[in-house]
Amino acid sequence: MCELYSKQDTLALRGKHIGPSCEIFFAADPIKIVRAQRQYMFDEKGEQYLDCINNVAHVGHCHPEVFKAALKQMELLNTNSRFLHDNIVEYAKRLSATLPEKLSVCYFTNSGSEANDLALRLARQFRDHQDVITLDHAYHGHLSSLIEISPYKFRKGKDVKKEFVHVAPTPDTYRGKYREDHSDPASAYADEVRKIIEEAHNNGRKIAAFIAESMQSCGGQIIPPAGYFQRVAEYVHRAGGVFIADEVQVGFGRVGKHFWSFQMHGEDFVPDIVTMGKPMGNGHPMACVVTTKEIAEAFNSAGVEYFNTYGGNPVSCAVGLAVLDIIENEDLQGNATRVGNYLIELLNKQKAKHTLIGDVRMKEKRVLLSVDGPHRNVLKIKPPMCFTEENAKVMVDQLDGILTAVEEAMQAETQSVISENTPCRTKMHKDAHVELLSDSTNDPTENPSRKRNGMCTNKHSLLSKRLKT
Amino acid sequence: MPSARGQVSPRSVSAPTDSAAPWPPVSARRLTLWPCDSGSSALPADFFFLRIQLRLSVAKGNTCMMNKGENTSIASTMWLTIGAGGSPVGLAEWSQPCDGGGPLAVGHCHPLVVQAAHEQNQVLNTNSRYLHDNIVDYAQRLSETLPEKLCVFYFLNSGSEANDLALRLARQYTGHQDVVVLDHAYHGHLSSLIDISPYKFRYLDGQKEWVHVAPLPDTYRGPYREDHPNPAMAYANEVKRVVSNAQEKGRKIAAFFVESLPSVGGQIIPPAGYFSHVAEHIHRAGGVFVADEIQVGFGRVGKHFWAFQLQGEDFVPDIVTMGKSIGNGHPVACVATTQAVSRAFEATGIEYFNTFGGSPVSCAVGLAVLDVLEKEQLQTHATCVGSFLMELLRQQKAKHPIIGDVRGVGLFIGVDLVKDEATRMPATQEADYVVTRLKENYILLSADGPGRNILKFKPPMCFSLDNAQHVVTKLDAILTDMEEKVRSCETLRLQPSSVKHPPGKCTGEERSRCTNCNPGEKGIPDIRGQMAWGLAPPLSYRTRRPEDFPERP
Repeated sequence: MCELYSKQDTLALRGKHIGPSCEIFFAADPIKIVRAQRQYMFDEKGEQYLDCINNVAHVGHCHPEVFKAALKQMELLNTNSRFLHDNIVEYAKRLSATLPEKLSVCYFTNSGSEANDLALRLARQFRDHQDVITLDHAYHGHLSSLIEISPYKFRKGKDVKKEFVHVAPTPDTYRGKYREDHSDPASAYADEVRKIIEEAHNNGRKIAAFIAESMQSCGGQIIPPAGYFQRVAEYVHRAGGVFIADEVQVGFGRVGKHFWSFQMHGEDFVPDIVTMGKPMGNGHPMACVVTTKEIAEAFNSAGVEYFNTYGGNPVSCAVGLAVLDIIENEDLQGNATRVGNYLIELLNKQKAKHTLIGDVRMKEKRVLLSVDGPHRNVLKIKPPMCFTEENAKVMVDQLDGILTAVEEAMQAETQSVISENTPCRTKMHKDAHVELLSDSTNDPTENPSRKRNGMCTNKHSLLSKRLKT
Repeated sequence: MPSARGQVSPRSVSAPTDSAAPWPPVSARRLTLWPCDSGSSALPADFFFLRIQLRLSVAKGNTCMMNKGENTSIASTMWLTIGAGGSPVGLAEWSQPCDGGGPLAVGHCHPLVVQAAHEQNQVLNTNSRYLHDNIVDYAQRLSETLPEKLCVFYFLNSGSEANDLALRLARQYTGHQDVVVLDHAYHGHLSSLIDISPYKFRYLDGQKEWVHVAPLPDTYRGPYREDHPNPAMAYANEVKRVVSNAQEKGRKIAAFFVESLPSVGGQIIPPAGYFSHVAEHIHRAGGVFVADEIQVGFGRVGKHFWAFQLQGEDFVPDIVTMGKSIGNGHPVACVATTQAVSRAFEATGIEYFNTFGGSPVSCAVGLAVLDVLEKEQLQTHATCVGSFLMELLRQQKAKHPIIGDVRGVGLFIGVDLVKDEATRMPATQEADYVVTRLKENYILLSADGPGRNILKFKPPMCFSLDNAQHVVTKLDAILTDMEEKVRSCETLRLQPSSVKHPPGKCTGEERSRCTNCNPGEKGIPDIRGQMAWGLAPPLSYRTRRPEDFPERP
């Protein structure tokens, strides 16, 4: 692969010309990726990395059916959606066929953020209410309107919570207010939402929407307890609001059993608005909002003409259609279930052995993983859907090796005070390092080998490891 | 005529079991051809494909369908590359868009852009949290087009995302919240941008208290017109007044947001000097100047790469947003700003991540567009064709009273239709009618402006002289027809062709109004009378061919 610049020059140019707050993986020692195929990425030296991060490359990096579809359409026509075209209607038809019947009207955008912003506009226009209930640690996008409803972001910065935003506790049965030993955590958490609605009403405020990622990702790979969404939807509807399910991270068959993550909650649960993005185009910028005819008509009758320059263009729709075909033809949902179950089995075997997290070591072992969650201690595994059982074995073997080595090192230093200034023998991701060592919120009486959630039929279930102090 | 469609047979690919094996190779036959004359930006790629196939299959000595001059719409040079295809079946119908050029810098389906995207799609398309050459190369190339202080870039997917980020940057940098915008402005469809787009919010939620609206610097229809001694200063003083009013209420200005050439506001060319004066007032109030180049950047104005550069070399905005034409239709956009603004944003501690923004494919596409703009000298081309089109339109203005104003620069032109010359009342219904009639003639144009009466020309940059001639000829015929049959307003009732005297020979009251006898505007000869009498000479600028213009490599 011929590089334009050496890695050092690339880094220098990035420092000069790219916004300094733009996120980079492994900031202390970034990786330069020049090529990728399926679930593998390759750096400038040709070293292969197993990609466990990139849910966006849903059907595998550089899938030929996807880029062929893009090429074919790019050579024909790539213009805006103000002209009739078959691709957009065909794609809308195929998408709505994957969803419950009442979700039949599509708006195409370019990013999950645009989709969530439009979802908010739709919700607010519906009954002219303004307020939004969001979950703690939620992240819905980088736009101004979405930072406002993303505690994951606004709690970090100087921004304060806006008065029209109400934050409900994350339905985390592992670390949250109501845990797995509670008799009915779903109702308990839903009741928190009901209380918020009541308080808002007492202050003369009106709820436009409850928005939630069907499974919280940045919040720590949270899977809400069964029944939670139904109860919340009931309270929100009673208050005249709508339920927005943010499937931007988790849609398109990632959970295996179902196409959409919200479907795990039962057939009787149907959100009013669903947003989707990320994996939709296997990396091509595209996203979508699907809603009911009623909500769409309310938006229209408000006199709003919605136009998105690139949204719904023929190339994006061709790419979207190709991705849907591949998911079906290659039985990627089945693969997600099979490999996901196998991975959980392997990880379960590890949890009895180890109590540490080591993400940068994984980078050195050519396995790409990231950490997230409020305490940056949850390993996020959401690889391309073509991830195999062999990949799962490799990943877990590496994890095992790293955790063993780190534990041995830790045992050798049990008498020393571990501080931030202690030089590490291995390069650790700075944030994770700090979190691990100064995580005073650890409960030493807690069982460190606890499995994360009961619903482990998918790759999102993770183990939370704690440092033994 | 039947339409041609190249059929690509899909290959079914199953994932190889060997974990390290690459995908099976995809066959994409590329024919990079000789430079040949082909015209309209809107010819579908399968049309080219068809023609190339026919040319290849035609024996030597037979008619070459790509020869210059065979098709009168063919006048400019394009490189062609064609993908794998099936059998041609006939010629395709085509139309010439004068609009929809927003997202298109270099022409629909430009092969070099398609090739760049395709090649990169096969290698890597992932997010910007890994180092990659494309994003830094693209940022560097963009920085070379901008004044030196605008050297830090954020890549996104749409103009709307770009403007939203610009708003966030401005607020973080200044610590202020309020925004000053122009009347009839449109900055995007996101919640935050509807709030700063009077074009939208006047019909929706209304003006927010943190938004302040200054008059559009429209020297044709605004409060200060072409006869004002210094409209730039006058309009800038309006901004100063708006800022003072806000400050008196204890509000603090974060930014002045402006489209460098307001488009939906009616193809407005702000008077020279306006931006500098405004920047002065805004900076004094602690705000920043955001130039929205989404509609008009990338050489469209001809003389310069960026429309804000029309305001003079001494004027440099603090933040520039770009989109639409940046990727020739691929979803790309960008914010360029100064080190100071970007550092302030970094200091918030919040990391910025845009899933698709700055991806290797988007940057490859952006780079290809820059390459094409340079190699095909489309900026010069825009000046050339734009000037020609303006001249033709000015002739039409002299001929048809319904045309109240023709304004523009490069390939950004507006034709302002009025019901009444004196009051300049917008001819809304007539503009709609013209647009519909043009569509029936296979010409795509749109109308905008507060009165939806301004015909907007912003075609792909490869729009040719012949395209310009063709459009204006059709427009002329339609307006003439309207004057004869529609006659729905004062300006359609004045019929130069019904003038009963030869040029220069009018008498009495008619003399002052008679455009047949009075000289045309700005020295362009008024030919209506001559045309009416069948004396129209073959004016050189009406029959110019590419040979008359400097050779392009």
